[in-house]
Amino acid sequence: MMVTILDVVIAGLLLGGIYALIAMGLSLQYGVARVLNISHGEFIMVGAFLTWMLYTVFGINPLLCLVIVGPVVFIIGFILHKTLFTRLRISSTSSGAFESRSLLATFGLLFIIQNIALIAWGAEIRGYAYLNISVNLGGALFGANRLVTLGFAIAIGLAFYIFLARTRMGKAIRAAAQDPATAGLMGVNINQVLALCFGFGASMAGIAGLLLSMCYPINAAMGLEYTIIAIIVVVLGGLGSIPGSFIGGFILGLVGSIVTYFEPGLALVSYYVIFMILLLVRPTGILGK
Amino acid sequence: MTKKLIFSLIVLTLVALVALPLCSACAPAAPAKDKIVVGMSRPLSGPMALIGDSAFRPVYETFVAEVNADGGIYVAEYGKKLPIELLIYDDKGDVGTMTRLTEKLILEDKVDFLWPACGTAFIFGQAPIANKYNYILLTAEGGATTIRDILPGLPYVFVSLSFSDWYQLPVLADLLAEKGARTAYIMYIADLHGIEYSGVAGIEFPKRGIEIVGIKSVPPDIKDLSPILKEAKASNADVFCAFAYPDQILPATGQSIEIGYNPKVWLGGPGVNFGFYHAAFGPATEGIMGFTTFSRKTSPTANELADKLYAGKPEEVQDWWGHPLYWAGLEFWKAAIEEAGTLDQAVIRDIMATSTFDTILGPTWFVSGLMAKECHTGEIGQWQSGVFEVVGPKDKATAEFIYPKPAWPAP
Repeated sequence: MMVTILDVVIAGLLLGGIYALIAMGLSLQYGVARVLNISHGEFIMVGAFLTWMLYTVFGINPLLCLVIVGPVVFIIGFILHKTLFTRLRISSTSSGAFESRSLLATFGLLFIIQNIALIAWGAEIRGYAYLNISVNLGGALFGANRLVTLGFAIAIGLAFYIFLARTRMGKAIRAAAQDPATAGLMGVNINQVLALCFGFGASMAGIAGLLLSMCYPINAAMGLEYTIIAIIVVVLGGLGSIPGSFIGGFILGLVGSIVTYFEPGLALVSYYVIFMILLLVRPTGILGK
Repeated sequence: MTKKLIFSLIVLTLVALVALPLCSACAPAAPAKDKIVVGMSRPLSGPMALIGDSAFRPVYETFVAEVNADGGIYVAEYGKKLPIELLIYDDKGDVGTMTRLTEKLILEDKVDFLWPACGTAFIFGQAPIANKYNYILLTAEGGATTIRDILPGLPYVFVSLSFSDWYQLPVLADLLAEKGARTAYIMYIADLHGIEYSGVAGIEFPKRGIEIVGIKSVPPDIKDLSPILKEAKASNADVFCAFAYPDQILPATGQSIEIGYNPKVWLGGPGVNFGFYHAAFGPATEGIMGFTTFSRKTSPTANELADKLYAGKPEEVQDWWGHPLYWAGLEFWKAAIEEAGTLDQAVIRDIMATSTFDTILGPTWFVSGLMAKECHTGEIGQWQSGVFEVVGPKDKATAEFIYPKPAWPAP
């Protein structure tokens, strides 16, 4: 019995770690930069494929790929915001108009990135075995790769939280999240901050993709599934709240794991049920204001 | 605001799914008598592309190149060889788009022949349309007992792929029973494929004295399969079957290794039969079983086909179950046209329904719209030293069935 509970809880945390990382990325992009990035999952896919390629073709350790994948995807995100979204933001008459226009743009981005990946890497499913050795946690057996994934997700989440809470740039990001116009008036270079947020968000998605590729098969069309989970977690945690997304990810992972234990077919249903209940009872999310 | 955005998101998804395939459908070619125009609606992008690109696509591309290099297909009516020209539209893996594109290919483009869309559900959508316009439809990816049930009303439809009780699971059950397997645990995906295979196993296994001690369905989007694998491990069953797709088979394999779950038989498919499965797990695949049709050792012609399709390409592109059957289907189709000496679908259909032609499988024929099971050069495969060997039926085996499966290699 004890082992079963451990099994379910740890499995939930393992899944939750990935969800948390993905959602933190989207939270930065939507909560701060106000871009509901439908192509968020495509950055996950790009991160996963880059890692797969670096590992299988060049033999680079997937965890070392972090120093390549993170910055590469960050730069893609940063440039995208500097060119596409900054232009859209400046030419939009209101923040509402910007939200809907950027939403459309990210929809286009979804198809563009996905199809570039199809051309570059093909449509086939990919996978590789890395660290799939067994670790015994109080009688419950888990793969080392998944535990490493959880460790990295927590470490990155905490590091980013500290960055937001303790640094000058973090303060600027929090100010921009609350009110971009006022933050701009207070001397924050708002275009730069928003582009950085979008870049960090994309980078987190890329790293999540890296971690996912260590445990699960990947393919060019895998993105949208994770985007939807990220949207649910961001709403669950509260828009713009990084800690909220972090906690929300773990809650969703745990609920999914518990439901899967009883009936695997209902795991996704449970996510949507939580989503609906939350929208009815506390539309601002757990830590939203 | 969030609700509004989510709503617009859903609307936009729908719009995008409907509008985009139409944009890609451009530049139709008029059929002319100096070539045979073959039309297809295929998932060139979208989630189905991963199946289409690894299954039928490499086969038809290689086949058309080979036929055209030889000048084409000889049609007596025109007294010359006509090369094949492909007209392919992207259905983005959407059944509704596929049905519209199929009708467009037939009515507007007036293609000479129709080749199949990708996937069992797509066959259900496409078969009645092809049949209505008297177009022969020789299917590729997809096959099911439920399709067999509708074939009597669709004389123009021919199914090439083998499936559960045609004749994979009866062969599997024989193999297992002979080695003394007594119990089985089944994990299946909650869709037509999983329900069918688990249902057929539920009939075939007990017939041979193999008791099913556990059965669990999983949704297509499941990520963590360890709860089910742990339950299977606890059941202590001799045989573990995963009737699911690569998206579940790959993590199920990885997680079985992680939790040290090593039953006497570990069978999964479709998924195990692909080169990418071996590419992903390497030596850990030793002894893992799946569905298949041939290996290089089956026959010299089989080896030749494997060279044509796989030589000089990454291992990932290999498919030992579907490829030979699709290839044999195309060879059969070409032979039927040459025999008919015309491009008249009705004449060719009658020949396909009643004739036997030599293909890479050997003599090949169709029984009530299904490629005869006697033509299959294998049903059950097992990875042995990096080769997906045919282990059943025994008279077509290219290697001895290893039972029990060896332990997972040490990390």
